[in-house]
Amino acid sequence: AAAGLCPCRALLSRRGGALRALCGSVRGLAAGPETHFGFQTVTEAERREKIYQVFESVAKKYDVMNDSMTLGIHRVWKDILIHKMNPFPGTLLLDVAGGTGDIAFRFINYVRSVRERQLQRKLRHRQNLSWQEISESYQEDKSKSLGDSQVVVCDINKEMLKVGKQKAQHLGYSEGLSWVLGNAEELPFDDDKFDVYTIAFGIRNVTRIDLALQEAYRVLKPGGRFLCLEFSHVSNPLLSRLYDLYSFQVIPVLGEVIAGDWKSYQYLVESIRRFPPQEELKAMIEDAGFFKVDYQNLNSGIVAIHSGFKL
Amino acid sequence: VRCQLSSPQRALQASAVLRRVSDEQKEPLASSSQQQFDSHPSNHQPEQEPQGPRPSYTGQGGQESEDYESEEQLQHRILTAALEFVPEHGWTAEAIAEGAKTLGLSVAAAGMFHSDGSELILHFVSQCNTKLSELLEQEQKLVQLGEAEKKPTDQFLRDAVEARLRMLIPYIEKWPQALSILLLPHNIPSSLNLLTSMIDDIWHYAGDQSTDFNWYTRRAVLTGIYNTTELVMMQDSSPDFEETWRFLENRVADAMNMGNTANQVQSTGEAVVQGLMGAAVTVSNAETSRAVR
Repeated sequence: AAAGLCPCRALLSRRGGALRALCGSVRGLAAGPETHFGFQTVTEAERREKIYQVFESVAKKYDVMNDSMTLGIHRVWKDILIHKMNPFPGTLLLDVAGGTGDIAFRFINYVRSVRERQLQRKLRHRQNLSWQEISESYQEDKSKSLGDSQVVVCDINKEMLKVGKQKAQHLGYSEGLSWVLGNAEELPFDDDKFDVYTIAFGIRNVTRIDLALQEAYRVLKPGGRFLCLEFSHVSNPLLSRLYDLYSFQVIPVLGEVIAGDWKSYQYLVESIRRFPPQEELKAMIEDAGFFKVDYQNLNSGIVAIHSGFKL
Repeated sequence: VRCQLSSPQRALQASAVLRRVSDEQKEPLASSSQQQFDSHPSNHQPEQEPQGPRPSYTGQGGQESEDYESEEQLQHRILTAALEFVPEHGWTAEAIAEGAKTLGLSVAAAGMFHSDGSELILHFVSQCNTKLSELLEQEQKLVQLGEAEKKPTDQFLRDAVEARLRMLIPYIEKWPQALSILLLPHNIPSSLNLLTSMIDDIWHYAGDQSTDFNWYTRRAVLTGIYNTTELVMMQDSSPDFEETWRFLENRVADAMNMGNTANQVQSTGEAVVQGLMGAAVTVSNAETSRAVR
């Protein structure tokens, strides 16, 4: 990862951005359309490669870093996402850029508890059935603790998937879970397959967001839901200043101390600033063909959940 | 609601689910599901257009993009389909999800609505009110054509309230749950709106043309009658809800009498006042005459 980045990143604040951009663009004149990598300007191909390298190097410490950077609040954000989804048993979820599986595990837990409640309700209605009927229904329920729900975790990075699989084994998740290597801009799935498509803290790293949104539209069933959890723009000026201070001064340091990787976390913080704000992302989602697009700010804009339906 | 349907970009992308309006008109239940919450009930549905050939969803150019149904119409369709699952699942997002499934949509479409099922209940109430209006309209027509007798007010009110409450019978087990949800703060404006417009409707067809304070008292009284009868109905276990209709009869009779009592009270009050005035005059005359003497 070191080879790709310009040595002038020694300047912590954004004011160094222009210098960095210059270094970046000199190299990148050769191939492909220009895009950004943090505050640098690179070609699309280079960007994809760099991001792959970033996640390759942080994969093992990804969860630890998430906890320390957000002080554990990222768990709450992900819980809110699943609550908003309110999935029923039988839902087919595609979690793109799902890497270490946080969303997938929460989905499984939620669906399991909903299913348990359903079964309990059915039990209450069983008071006046014959013994034969009761035993038959017990047998069929036992095999479906998830009620046919399934989650497919798709990620472009092998290392992240590896960490995710290990976590699943460690935590005891086996049913209803599958791991697929794939690119969000070109998903290896058929049309009209999934009930819900989620991408949590991943769409920022996609090089062509419009392609990813179109792919999301393609693989969703009619009536399916698109949910995107991502860092977004804070409008409150005071909070924004504190947030900037924290982002640029604390996070890269934490990255160095905990994961031994300053540059990746510098990239992370810069990429958040480069990401389109809430309304712009909403417009992009609508352009991909989704209806009833809406967003919900969490922590006054630090994170936002965008939702859209394929109607 | 943004008018996304008229943008050319959308027209090119064939919507997976939103159908042409001409398609909808083929279904018999479409008429009630197209009603918006706050439209005046006595508006007639516009005349249905002649049905065209079944369109193909290949997204040909900007062809008739205005004819696609809006998101609200799709939502109404989902809610109408969800009603048949209410006796089993209650007024919940699960019922909505099942309803969406029957329309060929993913269960995730239930995410378009509130997770407490409020929209389903409001949709149902709005549908019932529309049905009631149509019923009263038809009856009025019959009276105008001379085919039926004009009912006296108390009979009319009784029949109207009974007809409206009978629409709850298929869902009566889960109705208490619905009532409690309708009382949630964020639902009160809409549910109150629906209730008042229904009561207004009934009085309108009952021939009420008052322009004074009576307008308010009449509606308040009927609202009270309706609400109490509804509550009685929740707990009624008699065959065909006989107890409820008897309760209703008594309440309506009370209301009629109350009108008379009010008049009586007023005239009694006047008489009493006159008596007192007379007494005062007599006393003052006696005083003056004694003073003079």
